[in-house]
Amino acid sequence: MAVSTEIQAPRSGRIAPEYKRHGRSKGNFEMFAWLFMRLSGVVLVVLIFGHLFVNLMVGEGVHAIDFGFVGGKWADPFWQVWDLAMLWLAMLHGTNGVRTIINDYAEKDGTRMTLKTVLYLASAVVIVLGTLVIFTFDPCPAGAAADLLPSFCRA
Amino acid sequence: MTAQNTEPVEPASKVELAPGIGGGGEIPSYDVTLRVRRYNPEVSDEGHWDEFKLTMYGTDRVLDALHKAKWEHDGSLSFRRSCAHGVCGSDAMRINGRNRLACKTLLKDLDTSKPITVEAIKGLPVEKDLIVDMEPFFQSYREIMPFLISSGHEPTRERLQSAEDRERFDDTTKCILCAACTSSCPVFWTDGQYFGPAAIVNAHRFIFDSRDDAGDMRLEILNDKEGVWRCRTTFNCTEACPRGIQVTKAIAEVKQAVLNRKI
Amino acid sequence: MQVHKYDVVIVGAGGAGMRAAIESGQRARTAVLTKLYPTRSHTGAAQGGMCAALANVEEDNWEWHTFDTIKGGDYLVDQDAAEVMAKEAIDAVLDLEKMGLPFNRTPEGKIDQRRFGGHTRDHGKSPVRRACYAADRTGHMILQTLYQNCVKHNVEFYNEYYVLDLLVLEEDAVRADGTPFKQKRVAGVVSYDLASGEIHVFQAKSVVFASGGVGKVFKTTSNAHTLTGDGMGIAFRRGIPLEDMEFVQFHPTGLAGLGILLSEAARGEGAILRNSEGERFMERYAPTIKDLAPRDIVARSMALEVREGRGCGPNKDYVLLDLTHLEPAHIDAKLPDITEFARTYLGVEPYTEPVPVFPTAHYAMGGIPTNIKGEVLQDNDTIIPGLYAAGEVACVSVHGSNRLGTNSLLDINVFGKRSGINAAEYAKTADWVEVPEDADADTIRLVETVRNANGTERVAQLRKELQDTMDANVQVFRTEQSLTETLNVIASLRERYKNISVQDKGKRFNLDLLEAVELGFLLDMAQVMTVAALHRQESRGGHFREDFPDRDDVNFMKHSMAYLDETAETEHVAGIRLETKPVVFTRYEPMVRKY
Repeated sequence: MAVSTEIQAPRSGRIAPEYKRHGRSKGNFEMFAWLFMRLSGVVLVVLIFGHLFVNLMVGEGVHAIDFGFVGGKWADPFWQVWDLAMLWLAMLHGTNGVRTIINDYAEKDGTRMTLKTVLYLASAVVIVLGTLVIFTFDPCPAGAAADLLPSFCRA
Repeated sequence: MTAQNTEPVEPASKVELAPGIGGGGEIPSYDVTLRVRRYNPEVSDEGHWDEFKLTMYGTDRVLDALHKAKWEHDGSLSFRRSCAHGVCGSDAMRINGRNRLACKTLLKDLDTSKPITVEAIKGLPVEKDLIVDMEPFFQSYREIMPFLISSGHEPTRERLQSAEDRERFDDTTKCILCAACTSSCPVFWTDGQYFGPAAIVNAHRFIFDSRDDAGDMRLEILNDKEGVWRCRTTFNCTEACPRGIQVTKAIAEVKQAVLNRKI
Repeated sequence: MQVHKYDVVIVGAGGAGMRAAIESGQRARTAVLTKLYPTRSHTGAAQGGMCAALANVEEDNWEWHTFDTIKGGDYLVDQDAAEVMAKEAIDAVLDLEKMGLPFNRTPEGKIDQRRFGGHTRDHGKSPVRRACYAADRTGHMILQTLYQNCVKHNVEFYNEYYVLDLLVLEEDAVRADGTPFKQKRVAGVVSYDLASGEIHVFQAKSVVFASGGVGKVFKTTSNAHTLTGDGMGIAFRRGIPLEDMEFVQFHPTGLAGLGILLSEAARGEGAILRNSEGERFMERYAPTIKDLAPRDIVARSMALEVREGRGCGPNKDYVLLDLTHLEPAHIDAKLPDITEFARTYLGVEPYTEPVPVFPTAHYAMGGIPTNIKGEVLQDNDTIIPGLYAAGEVACVSVHGSNRLGTNSLLDINVFGKRSGINAAEYAKTADWVEVPEDADADTIRLVETVRNANGTERVAQLRKELQDTMDANVQVFRTEQSLTETLNVIASLRERYKNISVQDKGKRFNLDLLEAVELGFLLDMAQVMTVAALHRQESRGGHFREDFPDRDDVNFMKHSMAYLDETAETEHVAGIRLETKPVVFTRYEPMVRKY
């Protein structure tokens, strides 16, 4: 009689490989990500409604918005910081949101990786471009054709 | 759960009973159609739906209908069950798209004019018909160290605990490990990596037990990328829990505890 | 043949099995085999509490507890065992608390206690608060806590492994007085893996049976579908006697028609029983402790009320459990689950309406005979080395002819612990008993016969007829005629059982096969139960013979021992030999049992 004592308890602690967690994650990234979503959400409510109020309600309201209006705002460091904060928080908030959606709905690791790479690239491009625009925006660049410039540049 | 040992008032020796008290009357019978998701890899790799037309009675539950189908129509219909009154947690299944215990779902509470669909719970590998492999579920449970860990000397008598401290974790002691919550969670459905509501509920039971000293270790485990932060507060788990545990609230309290510890 | 080798194999993962596993697992290589998952066991359905004379809320001591247990069991209790249980109850409760069990607390933070049926102060003077509890889910908490500690100690579980045979060998031996006899030895168990349909043999130095009761021989029962007397049946088929099988406890308060348990704790917290006239009828039957009389007395009183036409409902077939005079907040704090059962299953609101209840088969006092160490006996005084039993499957006998409420949770903890320790200690010094070459042959034959059964009888139909008969004839009231009729029905059912059909021919989770095998055990156990009941021509505890309504200490103050014996015949049933075993007395003389 072949006595084998090596047979493992088959339904005791042996689980299908796809359910095995791949190692422990170190650090508190997910916690900070979670916290960031809540805090950035609160700040964004203030920033966005402030932005909408100033742009749409104050003075002549929506009718006052034109190239000059935007140019004027970005001449002011206060509005530069405001818009920069709004851009960064909204982009990070949105990117993280889409990241979790990808994590929740992409079933294969490969798909997940691809989608997240695309997401991070797109976000990086928008954030970099947006930041550049806010800080380097010059409504009246020197040497430009006069008919392309807004009227106040001649002053 | 206050420990009030007040003497109850001695009840009357005789009272007038209202007529017809305690229910009664004819037991109504009705016809139901049970649509059961069948799967048997010994026969076919594909699942299919079977319909059973059954005559059921007043207080019958979905489990009674399944039994009737098995006992009178098709003996190969397979499902787990034991206590049949909602305390053992064997028969969690998807009934009309919602996770329920078959023994706690009365047929009369369902719309019997349409077929009642019964499937295995989602997110765990189906083994046969309504039976799933529970090991991944229990593995997550084991990982959160679901047992009292107490440092220091063992007292000779019981450890003292105030009624308020006992009440603090009362809700999460009710868990029967039926997996209705975990298998109702969309995050768990994706890849089965998430610890799942049940494991967090059982961690909560110890984290908030004043006698336990290993709360920090459990919080660290659940601070994992597959831990509490994957909860999206969809409340599916709370809705599914046959014991009425406020599962999502428990998860939120664990999140709060992780944050309080770190910040 | 796949053979696993363990020092200790525990059959069953309920309270007794896991309590044993916690002890044994720390001392020896241990495997626990269960036909369910551990947390599905029916210990989890126990509600009210676990008695121990902690004296946390009022004066109490273990000697009073011993007396109550013995009197509650109508003096058929082995008094040495009752003493052990009552004495060790205190540590059993404290052990559980240290393992993490969340008991309800007193204002000082100690374990709270409440009243329970038959538990009294100073030998019957008045009800005493002795039951330690966690709301009305004490059993659930015990089961979860024990499982948690099994996880902690890394106990190896074989879930959904259905044990079908016990490997018993016989050796020639000689007694102290020189008479030769056959000494039984245990080599292991044979199990059937439900998931794969494979047979696995487990060789073990010690085997602990903790497989629970046999409530499913009755139709109206608080027991789970899985409680089919497998452990008792396996032992019986292997020549091990069964003790006191005629004694079955009928719990007074099952939900009428369904049998779902409503804890005695309801009455402990002040609920009372009323008949159709609104009368608190227990005042007539037990003037001192009324609704908190032991279960056999209350169940019988209820059945009598119904029989005399004072039942409620359209068919006058139940009485009412009245909680309406209790504060809803108090009910919610102490009895949340059972009130939910009433709402869910009967649609009755216990705050404002009384709940329909009727006795439901609840607990088998009898079972595999053991001594106070948990060692199984092969006759009145010879142990089988290495074989242990604990919990409902065993008969120590601490419950005698009627178990007191809460004493089963106590039994599993005290004797589960003892069995676990003793099994592991025995395994340390014992030698392996060789597993026979054809160890799995009987089991394969059993399983394949059932799998290939292509007869005309449906298993469910036979089971239903058995349960209906048992409910009608072997319940609270029994007579010679009802019992004889039952034996005839069982005999014909056993014949028809040979002609069953099993539709599922597969290997994977073949639960059709499982139910057919279980029915075989049910039929065996029902027959033993009925034969023993017919033989006991007296009324004692849970066994009430209308034709012999009095206790007869002269002829029947002894345990019954039923053996499988092809050559014997008892009460015109071939194959069963009925012997007796003396009751152990220490300090309590039998008295008339009045409450």
